[in-house]
Parts: sequence; structure tokens; C-alpha cells
Amino acid sequence: MKCREFMFAAESLTLSQLSLMRNEDAAISEHARECAACGRWLESQTLLDNAMQALRASTARREASPQVEHAVLEVFRATGFASQEAVEPESAAPAAWRLSHLFEYGAYAAVAAALILAVFLGSRLLHDRQMSQHKIQARTGAAPQTIKATTTKTAGTVTSAEELSSARAVKVLRVHERDGYSSTVTGRSDSSAIDSDEYDALMLCDPLICSGDEQVIRMELPANTSTGGSGQPVTADVVVGDDGLVRAMRIVR
Amino acid sequence: MLNEQTDEQLLALALKGNEDAFTALYRRRQGPVYRFALHMSASSQVAEEVTQEVFLFLLQRGRDFDPARGALAAYLFGVARNYVRRAMEKSYSESAVTTPAEEDDPALVTEIDPLENIARNQTSKAVWKAVLSLPEHYREVVVLCDLQELSYADAAVALGCALGTIRSRLHRAHEMLVRKLQRTAPALSGFSGDAARCLS
Repeated sequence: MKCREFMFAAESLTLSQLSLMRNEDAAISEHARECAACGRWLESQTLLDNAMQALRASTARREASPQVEHAVLEVFRATGFASQEAVEPESAAPAAWRLSHLFEYGAYAAVAAALILAVFLGSRLLHDRQMSQHKIQARTGAAPQTIKATTTKTAGTVTSAEELSSARAVKVLRVHERDGYSSTVTGRSDSSAIDSDEYDALMLCDPLICSGDEQVIRMELPANTSTGGSGQPVTADVVVGDDGLVRAMRIVR
Repeated sequence: MLNEQTDEQLLALALKGNEDAFTALYRRRQGPVYRFALHMSASSQVAEEVTQEVFLFLLQRGRDFDPARGALAAYLFGVARNYVRRAMEKSYSESAVTTPAEEDDPALVTEIDPLENIARNQTSKAVWKAVLSLPEHYREVVVLCDLQELSYADAAVALGCALGTIRSRLHRAHEMLVRKLQRTAPALSGFSGDAARCLS
């Protein structure tokens, strides 16, 4: 055993345990014999233990007087055990208990704060979502009314922007009304957003001229104009540029 | 019957209004609490006050005790420690407790050989004086571990600190005590010479 090992072993023992081990543990006693400094240290600890024992023995019979017991029992008899919670010094509890209570209350407070925050953020999120839905409805909901009002002359039905086949953001801008057919006008901010696979180009356009916004107009065409006698009106999406010229068209139904 | 119950069981019964259980618990634990306060303060008056306060506290706040956090004895020592601090801050200066009071002397008398008795008394007084001269946080661990013979774990619960802290404080306190005894009472119990630790 080396000195460091000896000290490590000794530090983990109480004084009385160390005195005991001095006689019973061969490694400790052997090292104490071999190393003079460790031996002296162990001797001092043993003497200290003896002194502690003397002090312990000298006060072993000391205890509180009977008056203390009497007073405490009087309080016990007078105490209503149901009403204990309101009484005094929490601060006399050991620090570990007080700290653990603090941590406990802190944890409750943290959970409550997290719940409040979650509810607040959730309500904000819900509110924002509702607001955005209201905005969309305000935009989309107004159009059919206008359309209905303006399509009294026509026999066809009018579709709202949400019914359009494109999933992209679509704004209903205005309603064109023409004799013999109705139309819903939608707009796209980006001309490249038109899916050229579905639409048939009706004219070739110079990019310098055709770079402006375009509008998609859903139209119901009288049956005789396109199908020649089936009797069913035909719905078609027509892409119209700002210059009023038709760029492309597709048959929806 | 009640003597076979654990402290925690007695407390549970006492808090239900069982006076016999409370009396048994008091009689079992008042001695160690009293001696802890006595060793800390060297005043029997403070020790009596503290003992009474500790058990009144137990009556008032006993329901807060959680056995999962430690033994009731350690809890009581923790409460006692706080009351000792209060009492000493309130009415006793540090200088007043650096010497064990004369009123405590009769208890040091035993029925053994008078010479041995005197030697033991001198040793006790010298070591008690040395203990009382320690800083409070060292004194607490010495009183709990060496005089009350609490385990490190129970002392850690009572003082609300880590086990390693108890160990290191105790080790340091022992070194301080040995140095003090070598200085103040070299003739007592063979305290003399160099007892510095070897770190080779």
C-alpha cells in the first residue's frame, strides 16, 4: 500500500472505524509501520478518537430535563392535529427538505408556465389560422356573390376559385360577363405558373410583349359552339393576357 | 410494544393523536438532540430550549417529513442544527461558547478511578474546547459524525449537503483538531509531535 492509497482508505472511514481498522486491517497497520509520517498521522487520529470517546462518554447521560418533556407533552395534548398546517417555522426544517420543497414548487411552477405558454401559443396559432381562413373566405366568398349577381343573364353556373383545378394560390379578381356564357376570372401573379401541358397555346407571343400578368377565366360555353349538338355546355379555362388577347385554353368538362 | 416501532412509525401514530407513541418517540430521541445542541453550544440552557423547539416543530410540521429522504433522526438533527444557530445568533456570542460552562462539569464525573476520572475530564474538556473553537460548518460534522456517531449519509441529510462535502469537512476538521490539541494540550492523551499527513 502506498501513502496515497493509505490516505484514501483512511479518509473514507470515521474516526472509530479508523481506530478499529488500525488493528484489524493488515494493509493499513503494515503501512503505518513502514511509513513514519503515515504512522504518526494514524496515531494522532487514534488519539483524537480516544479524546472524542472521552467527551462522548462524559456527556452520554446528559439529556433534557423532565420539564421539557412536560412542556412538550402539554403542547401535544393541546394540539389539534387537523389545524397544523397554518403554524410556523418552515425555515427550521433541514436545508435539504427546504431545497427539495423549493425544487418541487419550482417544478410545478415551470410546468404551469409551460402549460400557459402552450395554451397562449396554441390560441395565437389558432387565431392566426382563423384569420387567414377568414381572409381567404373574404376573398373567395365575395366572388360567387358577385358572380351570381352578374350571371343572371346566363344559363350556366359559376365556379368559385377553390373549385378551379389548379392547387396554386388563385385570386378571384373580377367577373366578366358576356352574352351567351359566364366566366370566372382568376389571376396569377406569375405567368410561368400556367401549366403548359394542360393548356393548348392559341397564339405565340413575343416574351417582351407577353411578360405581364395573365388571368385565367373559367367559361361555360354554349354546347353548340364547341360540341355541335350534344346539348351539354362546355366548361373551359382560358388564359387571357393583360392586353386582352387569349394566350391559351383548356377544356375542363 | 411501542419500543419496537421505528421512529417513523411512532411519528405516524403520534400525528394521529397517539400520546404514548409521541412520548416514546420523544424519550428515544430527546437525548441525542439535547446532546447535539449541548456539544454545539456548550450550554445546557440552549440545549434544553433547542430540544423543546425541535419536538414542538415536529408536532407542527411532522407531516412534512418524508421517510424517503432520510431517517427521522437525521431530520431531527437538521432541525436542531437550525435552532442551535438561531439560539446562538440570538443570545450567545461565539466567545461565550468557546469554553464548556462550569455548570456542565458535574456530568463529567464518573465512578471510575479518581485519577483516571480527572484525566478523562481534562481530556474531554480540552477536546470539547477544541471542537467549540472550530468554525461552525466543521463543528457540525464533528459533532454529528464523531460525537453523535451518525453515518456520513445521515449527516449529509441532516446538514443538507453532499456526502463528499461531509467527508472532506470531517477530514479537515480532524486535522484542525489535532493541531489545536497539539498546541493547547500537548500533554493530554499524548498529543504531541508532527502529525502532518504524508502525501508521498
